[in-house]
Order: sequence, then C-alpha cells, then structure tokens
Amino acid sequence: MKIAGAKKVHYDSGPNMTPLVDVVMVILIFMMLVGQFVGAEHYLVSNLPISQSGAGGAKLPPGFIPDEPLDIRVDSPTPDKFVAVAGKIRTGDAAALTRALRTMRQQLNAAGKADEKIQVKIGPGKNVKYRFLVAVYEAALNAGFKKVAFATSH
Amino acid sequence: MRRRRGMPDIKEGGVNVTPLIDVVMCLIIFFMLVAKIGVDTGADQRISIPASLQGTDIKDMGNTLTLNVQPGPIDQPMVTALVGGVQQEVKLVDSNTGQKPLLNTLKRFRFGYDLKPGGTKDSLDNPDFKVIIRGDQDMECRFLEPVLITCAEAQVKNVSFNTRKVVEQP
Repeated sequence: MKIAGAKKVHYDSGPNMTPLVDVVMVILIFMMLVGQFVGAEHYLVSNLPISQSGAGGAKLPPGFIPDEPLDIRVDSPTPDKFVAVAGKIRTGDAAALTRALRTMRQQLNAAGKADEKIQVKIGPGKNVKYRFLVAVYEAALNAGFKKVAFATSH
Repeated sequence: MRRRRGMPDIKEGGVNVTPLIDVVMCLIIFFMLVAKIGVDTGADQRISIPASLQGTDIKDMGNTLTLNVQPGPIDQPMVTALVGGVQQEVKLVDSNTGQKPLLNTLKRFRFGYDLKPGGTKDSLDNPDFKVIIRGDQDMECRFLEPVLITCAEAQVKNVSFNTRKVVEQP
C-alpha cells in the first residue's frame, strides 16, 4: 500500500527538540502538582512587649521607658458579633473602629507620643472568636499603630 | 546571492514546536519563582484561618515553628506542630506525667537543649525564634489564650498570626 507523501524527503534543520519538550512538560506538570503558591497567605506580626509581670516576665533593662499603653477590650455579646472598647470608643464595626483609632493615634501623636512609643494591647473576652480578634488587630494596624499585641482574656 | 550548490532545502517535517517550548519555558520559570516546593512548615491546611487585608510575608521560615491551634476537649486547645520532622500533637499539659510538652518544645527552640537562658553550642539562645499561630477562625479566644501564655513563658518575643490574604476590591 502506498501512503501519500511517504516518499517526501524530510530534512532535519536543527537539534531534535522532542526529548526536551517531553522533559520540560514533565517538570511543568510536577511543579503544578506539588508547588504551594506564595501569596495566598500572610502573617500578622505581634511583638510582645517587655513586661515585668505575668507569664514570661523579664527584668527591665536599665533606663527602659515603657511605652504608652492603649488597651482595646473585645467582647462578643452574641457569637456572630463583637464590640471593641478603647477609652471612649465603643463599636462593633471594623471600619468605624479603624477611623476612631486613627483619630486617637493622631491625638496621641499631637500630645508628643510617637507611633513607636505606643503599645496597643488587645484583650479579648474568652468567648470572642479568633476572627474578630484578627479584625480588631487589623483595624489597629490600619489605623497606623506600629506595635500591636495581645493581652490575656478578661 | 546564489545559494551554494549541495546545500539541501530546509523543509519542515512536522508541527513547529518552538512557540510551545517558549511558552512552557516561561511557565517553568514562573513556577520556579513563585512556588514553594518541598517546604513543609507543619501548617495544617485543613484549618480554616481568618482572612485579613493587612499582613506581611515571612521570608525565612527556617527559624519558625508553626502551631496549629484548634478547639480541643475539656476547654483545652489541641495544638499540633512539626517537631523533629514529625507532625504531632504537642499538649499543653501531659496529664500522665504532669509535664508541659508545649512549653518545653518552645524553650528548646528558644534556649537550646538546656531549656534556660545562656549556654553554648546546643544550648545557645535563639532570640530570633518565631512562633506562627495557625488558628481556626471560629475558635474562641479561651483556646488561644493558653498557647499565647505558653509562648510568653518561653520568652518567645515574636508571635505571628497566619491569615488568609484578602484582595481589596476596587
């Protein structure tokens, strides 16, 4: 049986790329299957303040000036809501909390307290859900505070 | 210019794979840059972590310990971590021995094998040691609190909270 074009002469015009394509495809599929992509998750960093009392209480270094404390108390009146209280601020909305905390930070700055010398401590109630704690934490960061940490439950 | 005699005509004998190789090579380079391959931090992917807009990336995961925190029985958290290459539960208090495995583990990372400040070689302090908390978003804070207290007791200064990145809507 004659196949059309079987007599056609083919010339190789360069290196045979087929094995390369095979290997490269295998590498590509391997990476797609086993790779974990960066960018899906990130971290909220909390630097614990130096404290003489409580767990991990340490000796204060000489000349140490403690930071201006700003306590935010978080409670959950119902399982799907939270209320954050910081001084005169009392709100259950993260955006409103951000705005109020930003105003408070500006007032503290105007009173001579630099952002680096203000220690925000978030004290959650025992029944507050972790995601609300993160929401309050994020509100403090959005408000421009540099040092945010957690205090023990009240 | 006249072509030299004897040089064969170049004829394509099949599908031109050059664009395919170009694209595949680009994809491979992309994956090599953005994918983390073979890095096991002990993070339990089954835990539903909370979402946040803010957050930073930790470049060096080598000096970290990821604690997976979930609600456990009798008001105690269930903490798992990759310790000694094995993913295992690290109890706050071992009811059989009365010891504190989580505290001892954190101290071992923080202060070395002597579990206390000072020392050399295997007991060298590690002040840059970081703990990453990977907590369930619906977990109540009473489960998280003892873990944070244990971190403070072990004098771990840097505690980070693993959150899911949320893309801000325009």
